[in-house]
Amino acid sequence: MYDIMDTGFIRVLLNPGRFFEARMQGEPSLKIPALIALVMGLIGAVSVIPMTNITMAMLPAEMQGFGLLITIFLAAVAFVGGFLGWFIYSFVFYIVSMIFKGQGDLKRTVEFTGYGFLPQIFGGIIGTYFSYQLLSGLNVPPMTSPEQITEFSESLVTILATDPLAQIAGLVGILFTLWSANIWIFGMKYARNLSTRDAILTVGIPVGLYILYNLITLAGWL
Amino acid sequence: MKPIYLAIITLLCAVLAVVGPASAGPADITVTSSATDPPVLMKGDTGTLTVTIQNNGPNTVAISSAKLYGNEVVPLSDSYASVGEIGAGNSKTFTFTVRADGGEGTFYPQFVLDFRDGAGSLRYPVPVQVEDTVLSASVIGMPDAFSEGRTAEITVRVGNPRPNAASGVQVIPEGTGITVTPTGGFIGALAPDGSATVVFNLTPTTETDVAFQVIWRNGINTHTTDLVLPIAFGEDKRQADPVITNVEVTPIAGGYRIVGDVMNAGLESARSVLVSPGAPATPIDPFRVYVVGTLDPDDISSFEVTFRADAGTTEVPIVVEYRDDDGNRYAATTMVGVGSVAAAPLEERDGGIPLVGIIIVALVALGIAGAIYYSWRRT
Repeated sequence: MYDIMDTGFIRVLLNPGRFFEARMQGEPSLKIPALIALVMGLIGAVSVIPMTNITMAMLPAEMQGFGLLITIFLAAVAFVGGFLGWFIYSFVFYIVSMIFKGQGDLKRTVEFTGYGFLPQIFGGIIGTYFSYQLLSGLNVPPMTSPEQITEFSESLVTILATDPLAQIAGLVGILFTLWSANIWIFGMKYARNLSTRDAILTVGIPVGLYILYNLITLAGWL
Repeated sequence: MKPIYLAIITLLCAVLAVVGPASAGPADITVTSSATDPPVLMKGDTGTLTVTIQNNGPNTVAISSAKLYGNEVVPLSDSYASVGEIGAGNSKTFTFTVRADGGEGTFYPQFVLDFRDGAGSLRYPVPVQVEDTVLSASVIGMPDAFSEGRTAEITVRVGNPRPNAASGVQVIPEGTGITVTPTGGFIGALAPDGSATVVFNLTPTTETDVAFQVIWRNGINTHTTDLVLPIAFGEDKRQADPVITNVEVTPIAGGYRIVGDVMNAGLESARSVLVSPGAPATPIDPFRVYVVGTLDPDDISSFEVTFRADAGTTEVPIVVEYRDDDGNRYAATTMVGVGSVAAAPLEERDGGIPLVGIIIVALVALGIAGAIYYSWRRT
């Protein structure tokens, strides 16, 4: 039985170097990281719910069933997205670290990347709260034509992009990503046996690009 | 014969030669001219008839009286009861006041001179022309349509079809519910077959009839003729016509923003053009109203307005206010649909990131920075 207290989530967040060093002693295990990805996926699925209300309000009565389907689909995508993000980051880090002649098991990389998503859970909770705040204040007019629905969706995007709440949520998300990156740096250092400098580059390049993209989107340049 | 008798006879002859012409006959008196003032009377007009006679004979002629007789042209003044003598080669003028009581045409009242001593009389028919044609008035310039409060330029032409000149011609516009400048137009004398124009700036407040009263004098007689112009409101074909196109509705924090173009599709300039959202929308900053200024025909200008609308509002009117060259205010309304656009959150937020948000971000940033710093310190 794996002892959570022994490894400690707090240690992952505050002292990842020591944590990963200790983890290197044992066999790679994806259980805890998978649990983290599961929680992330659930939070993502929950954050879709306020969108459901809007979608249902947008659609005419006879298409409510369709709206429900869309919601379930979106929730499923968000849920899977947690795992998808985990694997994508893992592979990206694995490939980038190859440039710095990193050595180590892919499974280990996947495991440590999963731990790095821990701060994202807090980020996801705060993001969901903002999402509720933002979308619950929306007034959805009844719509009859597909053109109107399209127009509404476009304006919704405009609101989500320009509303101060959305911008705060974006900034908070970036801050939590920075925290994750910090954990990943230590993770890659041990998982791929890299120097601190190479680990910083391995994580910093892809995460930096991701944050840059987010900042540009937030500032409305795209 | 005694010399005394001879002297008496000679003296008598001399006296007779001095004193006296033997009484002369009407053959020596002729009417040299006659005239009426005004030259052509109208029915009911009062004028003067002047007759001039001359003694063409070598002797003085004694005249007892001068009279005028007539039915259609009636003398109003007394006859000349005692005229006296008129010397050889002299002329004399008689003036009578007459009134045209009959119809139109040329009439011949009789001028009668009675000579003294039973020498007979002279009768002379004096021609007097009476014509009842009045001055003509017509509107030769006015706008296609009248609008309430809009000043219209109206040009009135007065013509004189009479054979004699009219004097003191003036045009006075009259009517209720109108304002006219000038309040009257003075033309003065108008020659036969002549015409003159007067321009009025007329501002109607209601649909009404305007009477342009032409007043003139024929001699000492005042006459009037009326020209009635009905003022009915209609759409001016040339007036400015602001059209709103290219409308884009965007939800913003606390309301909506409408961006679009306003174009003047009319033939006259629209001045002081203002674009604003109308009720039920409530204008909000920063663009409560958009001042476009002057829009010449075919000109286009963009505008931007921001407003708040209640939930359930599907359309809001965009009001374009403008003035014409005279300063009259007009308004054109275009409905813009906002129903298919997401209404922004109902609680109004002040544009930027709220203070609470900044505090949250700062706290989170501080916490994460602390965690990262701690993790590196422990390494």
